[in-house]
Amino acid sequence: MNIIGPDALVFGVDDVAACSQYLSDYGLKPVDAGPAGGRFEALDGTAIVLAHKDDPALPASLGTASMLRKTIYGVADQQTLGAIGAELSRDREVKRLPDGSIETVDDMGFVLGFQVTARRALALPAEAINAPYAPAGRPANVVGVDENAAALPRTLSHVVYFVPDAAKAEAFYVERLGFACTDRLLGAGPFLKPAGTDDHHTLFMIQTPPFMKGCEHFTFHMGGPTEVLQAGTRFVNKGYQSFWGPGRHKMGSNWFWYFNSPLGCHVEYDADMDLHDQSWQARAVPMSADASQLFLFQQQDKWAPGGPPPGAAGAAERH
Amino acid sequence: MSRRAMLVFLCRDDELAERESRGFDPWSEGHDTVLLVRHGGKVYGWRDACPHHGGTPMAWRKDAYLNYDRNRIVCAAHGAQFDIESGSCVLGPCLGQSLQRVELTVSREGHIYIRPQGEEETSWQEQ
Repeated sequence: MNIIGPDALVFGVDDVAACSQYLSDYGLKPVDAGPAGGRFEALDGTAIVLAHKDDPALPASLGTASMLRKTIYGVADQQTLGAIGAELSRDREVKRLPDGSIETVDDMGFVLGFQVTARRALALPAEAINAPYAPAGRPANVVGVDENAAALPRTLSHVVYFVPDAAKAEAFYVERLGFACTDRLLGAGPFLKPAGTDDHHTLFMIQTPPFMKGCEHFTFHMGGPTEVLQAGTRFVNKGYQSFWGPGRHKMGSNWFWYFNSPLGCHVEYDADMDLHDQSWQARAVPMSADASQLFLFQQQDKWAPGGPPPGAAGAAERH
Repeated sequence: MSRRAMLVFLCRDDELAERESRGFDPWSEGHDTVLLVRHGGKVYGWRDACPHHGGTPMAWRKDAYLNYDRNRIVCAAHGAQFDIESGSCVLGPCLGQSLQRVELTVSREGHIYIRPQGEEETSWQEQ
């Protein structure tokens, strides 16, 4: 089934104003957004959708602390939408909504939507680098650093669920929707890739007790590792709380930086994820700190090397 | 050295309004490790460490530790909610666990102090 990836995540939040400010500062563009919530879009139109938790238009809560109410997948065409509807109607209710999308639930109770994708095709360069004995990534006189670079999220990359039964949850996406497992962290869960994208994963699941069921994090792809660090540094400087990173994952090879959020989950910047095709053989390694990242750094305030700063106290501090 | 001299000053009592939270870095660790909340007129002190993830920081922005109704402490990692008075997790990933209380000393002048590092906590098991 030609499912491309998540087009939007819908949240029912406690503090709409705080979440709206947060998503705007993260780099998403408010579209039709106001005191009741609205859409916050990446460059290609993929989005986070906010509403107050008591908004009657929202699908039901998962009954945990999670504020995620719905994951909306973008699919290639009407034919795919019809095929998904036919497949899932065999054993569950599939609603047809006025906007032409369909809505149902997965085997863990997460509400899913499917729509012909709303993504706008973009032509954007990747971060370009120079390396000895390799063709120049940037021609002569093109500088790599732009202090004023926009560094905006390009597209909704993936969502991570806490699920009470990772095997059963995986089987639903693989057997019913044509996702493939690209890698597996044993003791946690599978990285899953739908058929309509080469990205290493658009969905990762972590086995947890039932009371944790919900969203662990979501992330948008940036244009490269520099944009992850540049956007993340700006986010820290606005007072937001770094949770994990910056660093680089092993599985998927994506650069990451995670932040706390008022949406009841972590929010990440990521970049440079591996692409795979059908010839890829999924790896499986036990979950551990070492398996989770190639390296991990922590943000610090800026400083500059040089002679000792004025004053004995200053000199004593910088040894 | 008197005991008072060893205490670490956090803020003045009148600097923390009702239903307000604030983070502190009393032991100069480079990030906030303690939070104060005023609730029902009383000030409560807790370690800024969610029991779910081995003690990770809970605010989503500097000093932002409370839900919209300001009647729960919330961990902005996964939305866990804690009772302000008891520190018990009432919803979320650390259900059944509790925040670590820090003992506060309020001087006659209304200054709020915390004990030096290593002596600051009353173990949650004892509560």
